[in-house]
Amino acid sequence: MLKKTVIDHLRQKVGAGNVYHEKEDLLVYGYDATPEITGFPDVAVFPENREGLRAALEVGREEGLAVTPRGAATGLSGGSTPFRGGMALGLTRMNRILEIDEENLTLTAEAGVITIDLFNAAAAKGLFYPPDPGSQNVSTLGGNVAENAGGLRGLKYGVTRNYVMALSGFLYDGTEFHAGNKCVKDVAGYSLRDLLVGSEGTLGIITEVTVRLINPPQDKRTLLAYFKDIRTAGDAVSKIIAARIIPATLEIMDRTTINCVEDYAGIGLPRDMGALLLIEVDGHPAVVAEEAAGVQKILEEVRADVIRQAANTQEALQLAAARRTALSAVARVSPTTILEDTTVPRSRLAETFAEIERLREKYGLRVATFGHAGDGNLHPTAVTDERNREEVARVHAFFSDLYEKVLSMGGTVSGEHGIGIAKKGYLLRQFGEGGMEVMRRIKKSFDPDGGLNPGKIFLDEGVSAGVKIPGGTHG
Amino acid sequence: MAEPSPAGHFHPEDAPGYESILQCMRCGFCLAVCPTYALTNRERSSPRGRAALARAVAEGKLEFTPAVRDESFLCLDCKACSTACPSGVRVGTIMEFCRSQAQVFHPPSLPAGMLRDFILKRMLPSPALMENSMLPARLYQRLGIQWAVRSLGINRFLPGALAKMEGILPKLATPLRLEIPELIPALGKKRGRVGFFLGCAMSLVFPEVSRQTARILSQQGFDVVTPKEVKCCGAPHLAEGDRETARRLARINIDLFLALEVDFIVTDCAGCGCALKEYEELLEETADHERIGRFKAKVRDISEFLAETGIRTEDLRPVPLSVTYHEPCHLVHGQGLSVPPRQVIRAIPGVELREMKESNWCCGMAGSFALKELETSRRILERKLGHVRATGADALVTANPGCHLQLAWGVRELGMKQPVLHIVELLGKALPQ
Repeated sequence: MLKKTVIDHLRQKVGAGNVYHEKEDLLVYGYDATPEITGFPDVAVFPENREGLRAALEVGREEGLAVTPRGAATGLSGGSTPFRGGMALGLTRMNRILEIDEENLTLTAEAGVITIDLFNAAAAKGLFYPPDPGSQNVSTLGGNVAENAGGLRGLKYGVTRNYVMALSGFLYDGTEFHAGNKCVKDVAGYSLRDLLVGSEGTLGIITEVTVRLINPPQDKRTLLAYFKDIRTAGDAVSKIIAARIIPATLEIMDRTTINCVEDYAGIGLPRDMGALLLIEVDGHPAVVAEEAAGVQKILEEVRADVIRQAANTQEALQLAAARRTALSAVARVSPTTILEDTTVPRSRLAETFAEIERLREKYGLRVATFGHAGDGNLHPTAVTDERNREEVARVHAFFSDLYEKVLSMGGTVSGEHGIGIAKKGYLLRQFGEGGMEVMRRIKKSFDPDGGLNPGKIFLDEGVSAGVKIPGGTHG
Repeated sequence: MAEPSPAGHFHPEDAPGYESILQCMRCGFCLAVCPTYALTNRERSSPRGRAALARAVAEGKLEFTPAVRDESFLCLDCKACSTACPSGVRVGTIMEFCRSQAQVFHPPSLPAGMLRDFILKRMLPSPALMENSMLPARLYQRLGIQWAVRSLGINRFLPGALAKMEGILPKLATPLRLEIPELIPALGKKRGRVGFFLGCAMSLVFPEVSRQTARILSQQGFDVVTPKEVKCCGAPHLAEGDRETARRLARINIDLFLALEVDFIVTDCAGCGCALKEYEELLEETADHERIGRFKAKVRDISEFLAETGIRTEDLRPVPLSVTYHEPCHLVHGQGLSVPPRQVIRAIPGVELREMKESNWCCGMAGSFALKELETSRRILERKLGHVRATGADALVTANPGCHLQLAWGVRELGMKQPVLHIVELLGKALPQ
């Protein structure tokens, strides 16, 4: 419990309506979208501007509070949960779009702006902001940057990092930073900007972001292919990439996912198929035609069981919408959905699918796999019930084994969700002590007091009682 | 295996189902569509936050505090979050249970409780009592007092809620229930026999609208049976946390309509339709599922019914109007009906449908919310009317008495040109005389 004088002080500095300390508020600022993980802050503060944020941070420092920045709390690794209590620092009330620079093709906004609002603001000027994480209707730009969020368009257009040109904000000790600028070329000094992107709120609090905008594609074509065997689908993906065709979207759904989507949306997907691929090529009309033909040819070569081209925009949109409902559809099946983001080099996709299948049987679980096949980024999703501790333990063992295999193939334990709390143990396995030590030193140089978002990324920062660290007991 | 579901700090009777709360995976997709979160940017006033509060109570981590009660009543129960929710959580319904819990943990003061009981347990269940209770309002209008009050601007001096109550009531006519024949025969080739569920608000406040509904059904070739013994659908009771009376009314209505032996049960009130379709859930533990299933299978909103059976358009006259359509929450989110009303509008010759932004965003009426939370309600309404204005349409069409009252009031207050029409009034204009 914080002293009333501290609360009063915060209210005075940040505005009475922007400080919450009642239990009913604190309870709901303890979570994000990660199952099983919750924290409980002592106070939640929502500054409306940089000055308010600076003042809140100062009070936090004086009181020795841990400070955990928070966007829309849609994260899937526990990154914004105030794990050690202290101050939950919400950025959602700093949500103005400050500038669209049509000469330099950039957009500058406060960190709390919602991703889709940014996208729409750019689109209104005939420009395009490609990163489209699944939560884009609610997620914040600051959260996207902190987690280096990906999305469906990652394959061709890259992820959030590829669009961040400049950042500004504060370190825990109050130091203000400005990293990057609007210059296309910039090699001055260490790239602080690149360190901050994906730092999960452990290095600094990002208050403003400048992103790069591009021209929207002129044309688009959507193809759909069904496969009896998911490994054939994996082959098709590897071959498309090897043919140097880079679709904007190359998404996969396995049999379980297809059936869940069909149960939910009833759009006529074939239930007996092992996998479907949704492929979207975009760009200049001539290129689109050529790439669509190339994809079609490969699908025929690997003997996809059904190949369809969307007849019109309407049909294409419907197909894309079906993929976007995948998580929804799977989530309806059971109370708890444990969604991972295993990522492998694309040439190893078929093997990964086989391994998922083998482990699913070994542990007797229900697992639906869908994801961004073109990136090698898969979302094997275990449907379970968190009250069934025994089954949940099997889920964690499943993922632990899977990550072992993924790492042995040169993959990564997180394609786009980040490490947060949920994957600390896996990260250690991927980097080893040496790699973790380098990261630890970086963390110390930004935040020597360790006050910013403590308990994340580093396993040895410990955990509070009752929180299980998946993979933590291994290696 | 899974442990038994606890009621935790909820009172065991009429507690929200733990399973239904646990289904929330906290993805936050609901934040984008919640009108109260849009206004407050406060997590506890969002669907995800409300579900988390209910979960904390169910798990014994939080008492049923006044804040939990307040959030359950601040929720508009617009159900937009149910549409947005990937995992099928219905926070509006969970909040209805919480409102019922609120009566146990934080009962209203004695006079307020007596008034509440009188309205919910005596007046609403009795059409005659309700009709009488509207007499003073009708008298007030007949004697020209309303005209005087409005033209002299005296209503500006009334306290907020009273002023809105005064302003929101349209000109009242004789309740339709007293005038409508028990049977209106089908015109032309007969296509079937429908029971008309005449809702209280429609009968009392919008009798001319429901008269159109009956006329349309008959013109479309259906015998229209309107039982005078019909009771309130129970929606106000669920909204105010009186599940017991809601169940009593549901049983009466089910018996009444099943006995009519009609092919369909049609209503022109989105709120009633939603409630009727939820009877099965309401009576989950108590009743005969075969009968409720049969009842539920017959219930249709008027648009749903017309779109499904196919509108006979050959006699329709053109109605040269551009309209925009506001989707009642209880139609689009409560019943999942978004396309049928548009099909009906587009079937009317001469009508041009201009879509507004956020057509499925609540108008801020939400039952008694518009009178209890004046300021919040007004801000939600202004957002809506801004989008209406941007369409430049000649008329604003909707399909629910609550929305109708709120929108018509807002249009008057802001001096906008659009008359508010129920979808059947629009269709009625196209019918041969």
